[in-house]
Amino acid sequence: MRKCAQRRSTVSAYLLAMGCVLMLARVAAAQGNYEIQVYGADTVAPKNLMMELHSNYTVTGQTKVIDRVYPTNHQEHETLELTEGINDWAEVGFYVFTSEQDGHGVQWVGDHIRPRVRAPERWHLPVGLSLSTEIGYQRAVYSPDTWTWEIRPIIDKTMGRWYLAFNPALERTLHGSDVNQGLGFSPGAKVGYDFTPKINCGFEYYADYGRLGAFDSLHEQQQQILAVTDLNVSPKWEINFGVGLGPTAATDHLIVKGILGRRFDWGKKSAVD
Amino acid sequence: MITRRRFGQLSGMAAGTVLLTPAMRAATAPDIALEIAPYSLEASPKHHFRTVAYNGQVPGPLFRMRQGQEQTVEIRNSSSEPEVVHWHGLFLPPEIDGAMEEGTPMIAPGGHVRYSLKPDPPGFRWFHTHTFAGADLTKAQYGGLHGFVLIEPRDAPGAYDREVFLGLHDWGGHFESSDDGYMNPVYDVSTINGKMLGFGEPVRVKQGERVLMHVLNSSPTEVHWIALAGHRFQVVALDGNAVPQPLTVEMLRLAPAERVSAVVEMKSPGKWVLGEVRKHIQNAGMGIVIEYARAGGNAVWTQPEKLVWSYRGFAEAAGEGKAGGSEVNRIELTFDTKFEGHGSEERWRINGKSYPDTEEPLLRNGERYRLVMKNESMDDHPMHLHRHTFEVRRVDGSPEMQGLRKDVVLVPGKSTAEVEFVADHPGRTLFHCHQQDHMDRGFMMVFRYA
Repeated sequence: MRKCAQRRSTVSAYLLAMGCVLMLARVAAAQGNYEIQVYGADTVAPKNLMMELHSNYTVTGQTKVIDRVYPTNHQEHETLELTEGINDWAEVGFYVFTSEQDGHGVQWVGDHIRPRVRAPERWHLPVGLSLSTEIGYQRAVYSPDTWTWEIRPIIDKTMGRWYLAFNPALERTLHGSDVNQGLGFSPGAKVGYDFTPKINCGFEYYADYGRLGAFDSLHEQQQQILAVTDLNVSPKWEINFGVGLGPTAATDHLIVKGILGRRFDWGKKSAVD
Repeated sequence: MITRRRFGQLSGMAAGTVLLTPAMRAATAPDIALEIAPYSLEASPKHHFRTVAYNGQVPGPLFRMRQGQEQTVEIRNSSSEPEVVHWHGLFLPPEIDGAMEEGTPMIAPGGHVRYSLKPDPPGFRWFHTHTFAGADLTKAQYGGLHGFVLIEPRDAPGAYDREVFLGLHDWGGHFESSDDGYMNPVYDVSTINGKMLGFGEPVRVKQGERVLMHVLNSSPTEVHWIALAGHRFQVVALDGNAVPQPLTVEMLRLAPAERVSAVVEMKSPGKWVLGEVRKHIQNAGMGIVIEYARAGGNAVWTQPEKLVWSYRGFAEAAGEGKAGGSEVNRIELTFDTKFEGHGSEERWRINGKSYPDTEEPLLRNGERYRLVMKNESMDDHPMHLHRHTFEVRRVDGSPEMQGLRKDVVLVPGKSTAEVEFVADHPGRTLFHCHQQDHMDRGFMMVFRYA
């Protein structure tokens, strides 16, 4: 079975569009490219700590300060993610988001916590299933929605050389301009192909369709597709990188991302354990 | 879908049915009677496994035979699957050795077979099923179809007071990702003689006894490390063959299908645990209590800190004693896998091919052969040669050695091992990794005689 790299979509928030200017304001806020990843269903093993560094650079993004939110253009985001396995069906993750940009220097952006449970392997389901929930804070100069909550079902499947994952995530603003908007729908998906035991290449898709039941027009939706590569060089390491295009007005148009992860096993002490 | 292996099984089964002749019905009671039937194993009151067993017990019965003294065998298959019984370590013709790849007919459900065999060579052997499990980790060697055979030599040595037979096994297997990303079986329960530690009858001994322990690892896939707290093992035989240099050791290592015969001097009165050295496997049940007469209290375990074992200590250095042979034909074998995606089971290959497409090297009767096994995979492989005994000559970069005769050798990952044997038992001869999941995925080949 494939060792799933864990991938998930970005933390997102957006402003209500009111006319052309307000729509631009929403565009600026919606791109929260701090962790660009579609999740696989596996959880981190008990007594294991997964430490990941997400490095994302917006090559072509929003260039204006809108509603006191910094522009995304040429922002370099570094996110530290620490995930500890609790047992064979649960883990908890913790995030520290940072941003670096000319004129603003290195800034702390916010923190999130993310518990996750999965269907254990002993259930022998035909697909991998898990459910994560994430809650956290981000500063208003980086997102007008300062407190957000997300619930993310995760389904994945390996079939021969193919790997498929789907994350139909739902998001809710707890404090900020979108607090009255209700649930937003932000799916992520991935398809990958094993060219060799160590190299998997494919595509990741991220979107924010807007409020559940009243989706935004396509022009106002976030739509992003990334060409990605995963290097399975070692069970201890996770390496993923990619380049993404955003064709709609509400999406950063060009972004580069990378994930470097290292697994630490606290459980194995000696050969006789 | 019928795989090629399955097709071969069914073809053989048909042939086996033809062998059930009126002559068999008229036969007298056999020396060895085996019935293969469903069985419920109680490893502990909380751990039950529905399996298949020989004669309603796990392990199956112990058969003692005298070397060269013909035995009649009758096997009845009362299970719902075709079966075959492999006599592991014996020099038997391929028709009854017990591998359909060699031509032994399968026994159909409800069918039976009868034949005679001449036990040879002397030593601790065993018998087990030789069928296909695939993804069903209750079938084939994952189940309870295994038992002990002791072939007593014509001139029996006996520097011991009594014998004890111990069978190591793992139960409740399920697939999980291994460290290299492939699927490996892991197990819920591990037993000795079908019982978890604390739930079987203890082995009762007396102070001053020399107990010859015959230990068999019948696990479908797992290597096991065994120690006896408060005692040491004097290893006298490996895979039933006397070692050139008996050695006293703290622990035993047994790859799947390997056997160790070791004398233990009972000179530390008390109740002791004989069990798996690795804590998580002993916690899963692999242990048995060794109890001295009139000993009380709880059984004591002393945890070793390291895993220590080497074939080399039991062998002679090359050049000592008798020579290994003159003319030797080298057969180079490379083990690896064919990657078919992380979502597929890998196919194991010998020289780039998986069974049934593997080469069939030709052997000439009476000649000596050296198998040079280059293991390019990360996994260790317990390699077994049917119907022959080989001499271990090199393992994992060791210097040349001699005198160590076995029928299974563990070839560590990313290493080369070399063994030699004399081709003196004509007929199709199966050579394979004894790990059930590897066999099932093509890790086999057949030698033919010219």
